[in-house]
Amino acid sequence: MTFSDEDLMAYADGELDDTKRQQIQDAMSRDPEIARRVASHQALKDSLRAGFEPVLQEPVPDRLLTAARSKSGSSKSNVVPLRGHKVAVRPQSRWFALAASFALGALALQFGRTLLRSDSITERDGQLLAAGKLHAALSNQLVAAQTQDSAVQIGVSYLSRNGHYCRTFQMRELGGLACNEAGNWKLEVLARESHAANSEYRPAASNLPPAVVQAVTNTISGEPLDPKEEASARAQKWQK
Amino acid sequence: MPVVKDDLGEQIVQLLPRLRRFARSLVNNAQDADDLVQLAIERALSRSEQLRPDAQLSSWMFGILRNAWIDESRSRGRRSRVFVPEELGENVADPAASGEADALSVQDAMARLPSEQREVVGLVLVEGLSYKEAAEIIGVPVGTITSRLARGRDSLQAMLGALA
Repeated sequence: MTFSDEDLMAYADGELDDTKRQQIQDAMSRDPEIARRVASHQALKDSLRAGFEPVLQEPVPDRLLTAARSKSGSSKSNVVPLRGHKVAVRPQSRWFALAASFALGALALQFGRTLLRSDSITERDGQLLAAGKLHAALSNQLVAAQTQDSAVQIGVSYLSRNGHYCRTFQMRELGGLACNEAGNWKLEVLARESHAANSEYRPAASNLPPAVVQAVTNTISGEPLDPKEEASARAQKWQK
Repeated sequence: MPVVKDDLGEQIVQLLPRLRRFARSLVNNAQDADDLVQLAIERALSRSEQLRPDAQLSSWMFGILRNAWIDESRSRGRRSRVFVPEELGENVADPAASGEADALSVQDAMARLPSEQREVVGLVLVEGLSYKEAAEIIGVPVGTITSRLARGRDSLQAMLGALA
């Protein structure tokens, strides 16, 4: 009885029924060449598994954990990228940045028009900056001191990898991330909350839109500031 | 394994090591592989209603990841036709650099397989799925899986040298 290479391969992969498996086992005990071919299929399988096994031991990147734990997978649809690929939802992604910027460009136009009518946001040299009460809240408001009544709710404050102080905020139906550069709060990400429109409830800072959380994850250096560090950063006017 | 949808995110978290490994078998570059996993997570969460109650979550996720890979390879192919494919560009110099001119790493050898064979090898040999499961994920008959797997094995064997 002869066996095709596919039969031997299927044997090595545990894909054969009992009858055929027995036939091949018998053949292997009679014919060293068949035994050698089966062993070679098994060895290849073993070396492939061994080659990729270390991936299982790697720590899973935070951005993937964040993505899996975000409630909605459709957060991209209401996100405005404010500084091109530097602040796209996936700054580390090379493949997807282009597609994302096209998709978001159209939205930005419509969304941005509404925003620019607000006196809390201003535009300078193509960069959106916090103004009015948003600027004031980002500059002065400490999380420890804010109440649910504050028009702007500050979430986390942290030092970015680029050495700028950044703070997340929520204002009406918007969630965002702003970073201080030379006294201006540059808006890095703005996203519309999907669930806030019909709710009077102001969600806690931990309910920030996933895109904002993602941007924080991607830019944070170390841990968020604790209340003491936050107060001292304010005292230094958010300059490192 | 029945799936409780409320808990989908956490169940995906449990699968992340395997999803990352499968992605790495498709795409050699770790960063790109994780991009693929992230895209698959986003797609899965936005389509959770398509997950049948009796479906195996891992198979469903492998399928989404695999389709995301196909989509991305296509659009990347259109954009960068003039460039050397990334896998080749990265790997050409590797064997010499590693000092073993005749032995490719398993990862490099995988990256040189045609994508049709690579996905089957990834699902069956790396992830340990059955031919039937792989056939359902890729959407081809089991016989097609068998023949692609045989060709993939031959090429890998040739690239990696005699193993037995």
